[in-house]
Amino acid sequence: MNSGSYPYFSCPLCLHRDNIQLAMENIRNFCIIAHIDHGKSTLADRILELTGVLHTTENAQVLDSMELERERGITIKAKSVRMPYKSQDGKEYILNLIDTPGHVDFNYEVSRSLKACEGAILLVDASQGVEAQTIANAYLAIDAGLEIIPVINKIDLPNAMIDECRQQLEDTLGLPGKSALLISAKDGTGVPDLLEAIVTLVPPPKGNTEEPLKCLIFDSFYDTYRGVIPHIRVFSGILKHGDKIMIKSTSQVHEVDEVGYFTPQLNPGEKLTAGEVGYVGAIIKNVGSIHVGDTIISPDFPDTQAIPGFRRSQPMVFCGVYPINTNDYVKLTASLEKFQLNDSSIVYEKESSAALGWGYRLGFMGMLHMEITLERLKREYGQELIATMPSVIYKVFTTNGEALMIDNPSKFPDPSHIDHIEEPIISLRIIVPNEFVGPIMELSDSKRAKLTAMEHLDKRRALLTYEFPLAEMITGYYDKLKSVSRGYASMDYDFLGYRGGDFVKVDILVKENQVDALSFISVRESAQPKSRALIHKLRKLIPRQLFEIPLQAAIGSKVIAREDIVALRKDVLAKCYGGDITRKRKLLEKQAEGKKKMKMVGSVEVPQEAFLLLLKMEE
Amino acid sequence: MGRGLYVHIPFCVEKCSYCDFYSLPARLGALESYVRAVVQESQSYIGLSFQTLYLGGGTPSLLGTKNLKDLIGGIRKSLDLSGLVEATIEVNPESATREFLETVKDAGVNRVSFGVQSLSDDELKSVGRIHTATQAISAIKLAKRLGFKAISADLIIGLPGQTWATLRESLETLVGLGIGHLSVYCLSLEEGTPLAENPPDDLISDDIQAEFFEKTRAFLDTCGFVHYEISNFAIEGYECLHNLNYWRGGEYLGLGPSAASHLHGKRFRNRADLDAYLENPTGQTEYIEELEAQDKAAEEAMLRLRLLTEGIDSSELTTRFGHEHIEAIISRLDGMVGEGLLTYENSRYRLVPSRIITSNQIFARIL
Repeated sequence: MNSGSYPYFSCPLCLHRDNIQLAMENIRNFCIIAHIDHGKSTLADRILELTGVLHTTENAQVLDSMELERERGITIKAKSVRMPYKSQDGKEYILNLIDTPGHVDFNYEVSRSLKACEGAILLVDASQGVEAQTIANAYLAIDAGLEIIPVINKIDLPNAMIDECRQQLEDTLGLPGKSALLISAKDGTGVPDLLEAIVTLVPPPKGNTEEPLKCLIFDSFYDTYRGVIPHIRVFSGILKHGDKIMIKSTSQVHEVDEVGYFTPQLNPGEKLTAGEVGYVGAIIKNVGSIHVGDTIISPDFPDTQAIPGFRRSQPMVFCGVYPINTNDYVKLTASLEKFQLNDSSIVYEKESSAALGWGYRLGFMGMLHMEITLERLKREYGQELIATMPSVIYKVFTTNGEALMIDNPSKFPDPSHIDHIEEPIISLRIIVPNEFVGPIMELSDSKRAKLTAMEHLDKRRALLTYEFPLAEMITGYYDKLKSVSRGYASMDYDFLGYRGGDFVKVDILVKENQVDALSFISVRESAQPKSRALIHKLRKLIPRQLFEIPLQAAIGSKVIAREDIVALRKDVLAKCYGGDITRKRKLLEKQAEGKKKMKMVGSVEVPQEAFLLLLKMEE
Repeated sequence: MGRGLYVHIPFCVEKCSYCDFYSLPARLGALESYVRAVVQESQSYIGLSFQTLYLGGGTPSLLGTKNLKDLIGGIRKSLDLSGLVEATIEVNPESATREFLETVKDAGVNRVSFGVQSLSDDELKSVGRIHTATQAISAIKLAKRLGFKAISADLIIGLPGQTWATLRESLETLVGLGIGHLSVYCLSLEEGTPLAENPPDDLISDDIQAEFFEKTRAFLDTCGFVHYEISNFAIEGYECLHNLNYWRGGEYLGLGPSAASHLHGKRFRNRADLDAYLENPTGQTEYIEELEAQDKAAEEAMLRLRLLTEGIDSSELTTRFGHEHIEAIISRLDGMVGEGLLTYENSRYRLVPSRIITSNQIFARIL
């Protein structure tokens, strides 16, 4: 096999010696996988320090430049870093630490990051043990054929349960728990041994520099000047400045403007060769043209096979987003455009609602992704938004044989044209202490979940596996799970498929006017209790007005719930205040100001909270 | 349109639990110096003439005979009160002595407004009124005997424990005493008042207040009272000219701390600080407001809608403010005519009587 010669890079931090020649067998590509808060970031910091990439004494300098990078839209630690490492036997290595998204909604993205590695550190918090995301990520790593190094972290904690962790690793994942490394990322204990283990246990990358170019895109970010910068792992061939590259799925050709790697700053060089990890800049201005999992090839060899497993990430959860003041639509548009540059997994398209005016329908990878995005968007946008009740994509089969993908209840076809409907189902894994199994089963049963497996991980904890309707997940299940388990339950899920069911669309009518933004889909049997709860909440939220306001929930023309808001009886300013007209007028102006913030549904003033409440309807 | 003079007397023996007017209990010792200060303030407006005078409070009847004489006499030296057609004093029943009412009459005051509030002793006690029903009835009788023609009484709808029976009895008794004017207010819980801090269990709900208000309207109508302003009912000819002037957007001067004025198109107000006022009575203006034409027109439309019989004369409003400033307001008014909230007849907009009790909703749409 050809040994890829390592190119010369100038390094501003002088972390690398000049002209080092390293063979492919001296490269190690690895990642750290862990449940949230099990110490992944702390361990990454220690590794960066030990390899000299981050000097504790030079912190200020490094951090400064990080801040610069951050302003330009890069989150350094979330990507990949190249580190030089001299092992105990004196050999020189290049370690590439590739970060993975720590987010249950991004299983696909995680799998692509894993694909770029040959090994994975599976990190387990000694005080918590194996959790749902530990298992999910471990399976992904096993599927990707990675060498897994089990590591037990936080051994310095008084409540560390090292033996239990070892046993769990064996029992639940079939990993050699007895040989798991013991570390404390916080104080650095065991981390040097871990680095040794990486070079001895993780296999070097394979690949041929003589073969046509083939690179995996496992992440990307947007730079105002350089366009989209894909993060890549080169599997074969050589990628140089000035080369032409082709995006396999679209056949788009670009010219390479810059190649390099992260130190963690962007560090431009001349080329990247098979086995290496880095980035490529090619002035790609269209964010939508680069997708995680796609393959970069050479246009000279257009028939080069794509790296298997690529799929366009499909949003699973949708909701409408509207500015409170309809005049702010343009501002919202600008915010979304800017936002999407750094999170291309978000999709959005124009939508209009009779009640809310012009807005956007946003698609997210999952409900946590949605919550985080809405929060960030609000911050970026600088004001409150109305986000309507989230919806999944229903597959609606019409009587004339069409299959429609419907992400918005208001777009549901007339029931008489519907043959049957299917909903998305996820495979949900929950790890929970035994004493909470009962409440969680009860909660999940009420959500139409089907228990498919239950195992005891050890004496303390159980792993429940469910087939779970995604629609039930996105209306507050996670919060409830946390609450019934007093925070102890952890969960993870992935998409399973579509399953049929008896669904109805429920419309909400305020004084005979249908409010499109409040329509929702429900299984027929719970449509009425859900409607009653919703109508009851609405009645408390909509202020009394000059006329009676009937609130109705209806399936088609059949009303299934109703409450009335009685007409306002008294709202009068009587006192004269000794002729203090200004005070009187100010009171009325305040009232008028409040009215302006309302959304008009026919003649009824509906406060924005009415639209927000549906997000949390189940609580 | 005439000009009104309001003099605020910010003293009370005890503050009622619902009251958020500027009034201080236990500062009676300051009365004499207070009168001097008001007289001094009036000198800033030397030569200004007035058609109505209103002594309000607080409790103006706490002034006593000497102070009252000094006050009116002192003001007359700088302000032109020769054309006064109405002079009102608010009198609390417990301080309505023969001597005081005679002095009032001698000083040229021709209208007495009694703070009756209720003729149920339980209701009076529940909000900290310090007089009884009997005292109120005697006071009104006394005023009539002394020859006051224009007598008004204040009543409150919504006092704790009130029923339609007790309210109706209060109304019947007052009408039976032959007074020509009644001010009827719905109780509201004002922030910071003891009543709002600790509302009693038997407080009357807004819905019940609304019901009582409608019943009151109907009852007074059968007694020949015209509901001429949201809170005011009068036998024809006994309307309060001073208050009418407020609603017609007229000019007025307010003397004393917290008093508001409207002169030369500007609204301004004195600071609500008795000690500062006593020290420097002419330097207390804390707030001046001069509205743009369109806002001014909207304010006036809002005020005039309170006048239930008179309403808004749209042609007069257009002449005064100009078509361009009135157009938007007219279209809002027309919209509400369409919704049945207002009527429009002979170029006048009026509140539909059943909408009076929820009129804030309508006013808020005009501004």
